Amino acid sequence: MSEDKTPELPSDEELERLDRDELLKLGGKLDGVELVEYPDPFPVKGTRAEKRAERLVAFWFALAGLASLAFVVVMIFWPAKYEPFDSDKHLLYSLYTPMLGVTLGLAVLGVGVGVLLYTKRFLPHEVAVQDRHDGGSAEVDKKTVVAHLADAGTRNGIARRPAIKRSLGFGVGALGLGITAVPLVGLLRNPHAQSGNKDGLLHTGWQHVGKEKVFLRRATGDASEVVLVRPEDLEASAMETVFPFRESERHDHEALVHALKRSDNPVMLIRLRPEDAMKVVQHAGQEDYHYGDYYAYTKICSHVGCPTSLFESRTNRILCPCHQSQFDALQYAKPVFGPATRKLAQLPITVDPETGYFIATSDFNEPIGPAYWERKS
Amino acid sequence: MIKKLRARTKLRRRLAGLLALAVALVSVGALYSVLVPQPQTAQAQDVADPATVRAGKQLFDNTCITCHGANLEGVKGRGPSLVGIGEAAIYFQTSTGRMPAVVQGAQAEKKPPVLTPEEIDQLIAYTNDAGGAGVNMPAAQGEELRGGNPARGGELFRLNCASCHNFTGRGGALSSGKSAPALDGVDEATIYAAMLTGPQNMPRFSERQLSPTEKKDIITYVKSVTDGNNNPGGNPIGGLGPQSEGFIAFLIGMVALVGVTLWIGSKA
Repeated sequence: MSEDKTPELPSDEELERLDRDELLKLGGKLDGVELVEYPDPFPVKGTRAEKRAERLVAFWFALAGLASLAFVVVMIFWPAKYEPFDSDKHLLYSLYTPMLGVTLGLAVLGVGVGVLLYTKRFLPHEVAVQDRHDGGSAEVDKKTVVAHLADAGTRNGIARRPAIKRSLGFGVGALGLGITAVPLVGLLRNPHAQSGNKDGLLHTGWQHVGKEKVFLRRATGDASEVVLVRPEDLEASAMETVFPFRESERHDHEALVHALKRSDNPVMLIRLRPEDAMKVVQHAGQEDYHYGDYYAYTKICSHVGCPTSLFESRTNRILCPCHQSQFDALQYAKPVFGPATRKLAQLPITVDPETGYFIATSDFNEPIGPAYWERKS
Repeated sequence: MIKKLRARTKLRRRLAGLLALAVALVSVGALYSVLVPQPQTAQAQDVADPATVRAGKQLFDNTCITCHGANLEGVKGRGPSLVGIGEAAIYFQTSTGRMPAVVQGAQAEKKPPVLTPEEIDQLIAYTNDAGGAGVNMPAAQGEELRGGNPARGGELFRLNCASCHNFTGRGGALSSGKSAPALDGVDEATIYAAMLTGPQNMPRFSERQLSPTEKKDIITYVKSVTDGNNNPGGNPIGGLGPQSEGFIAFLIGMVALVGVTLWIGSKA
């Protein structure tokens, strides 16, 4: 049936006389719904089954309540202070988080299960039938809605006012153009116009400023401690991570910390074994970047920029953990496996004749890390 | 008394003079040897008892010679030279069972040790004698090798070690079949020896690069996160974080949730 006849509505006095069940039926009829079954699950009061169901639901709610109280008690009184692993209070400390989880979890679970059980046991099992409205709307509805829309279109009078039509077109059109331009303009400007910017991609924290020497510094776990590296500190087949240090930063705690944290600073200082150092192949232009058996390569992978910290001392390979690119430390750190295609940048180092510590003679000769659009190679 | 001491003969006078001179010389010599500071003389290595060295040579010829050569010079393609290899390296490799290696592969794996501690000492005595001494183990042992600053040890561990061995010492993969082992169940002396000698593909950390205190702090940190220690309230399921936890979440959690959903929608 595609058309439903609207049932006739009772008058106000008749409405007053209907009781709740009859009002329910009327409401259903108005929506096309007919309640077939709506029984009380426990028509006979006081049966054992009903009492059992009540106790079950009450049990779950009570459990939830007790668990919540336990949660509050645990939160306030359980010892939460860190205990080292070899102390005998460690077990109690380590159970703090699980106890919080168990109590709160049980509380939430209890409420949920209680509510679900109540719904299953105590709510009437309703069976209702609703008319299915197939097909299109009634013809009168279609025609009246179309008439409304057409009237709104013509009665506002824009069609008869060309000046307003054109100015509206210009105003909204230009606004749309502006909105679409916002994300596109960023693609057109050159982000590397200021190549001298010390924080740009061309430079690292090893960049020399004036004539000040840049020392290689080791990290000892204490950021304000300045420990510089001498050649004899490393044995053959050793690798050390070094960071830049300038004498002017010695008492500037923030600069000392910053040097350890700047992401393009870490450099691997590698001392090769003498028999391997004889097999080294230098890259053109980088022949004097090493100091004897000591080679310094940046840690930043030329693939996506992860720190290539894994140094295999027997095979002299530098392995990056992210995508498993391998660089050969005996061949100017050129990639021999994995997705990287460009060598790791090499830091030119030498030993300062005045102090005996390692210094970097200049910044890297290329941008370190992953390639970018404007990079020349 | 004085009257008596007045020497009666010339001979007696002479003898008395000589005696006085002798006493004076001896007492000056004694004072000298007591008061003058000892010169720094080079001390030879505790020269090992020849029997131990012989036993070590016998052991070496039976166990190690195939890959390390008759004169510790190494055999190309099989084993490196052991000249000047040092006590620490031999202790590490033999006490963890890696040496004697039974098969050539990507790397020698840890296995139950073949040599007893006594045999290890004999081997050390022989290699020190035949090839010259190298890096020695520290005198301290066991608990004395733990430092007092595990937080700094953690910083140093993350800087130097975590890239290969994982943040909590779960181990990790290297290239071509090699791996950095997990750090569970390793005693303090072995960890110290490994840092000092850089076995196989591990880099070497000399006492100047990582001072003994720093090494001990690293050992304390390692001990605090391995052997089941860093699991505040829970099953670590391998300590691999999201990998194993995600697997458990899907296998157990999702299935349980689906079960609960089915229960909610079922007929009462």
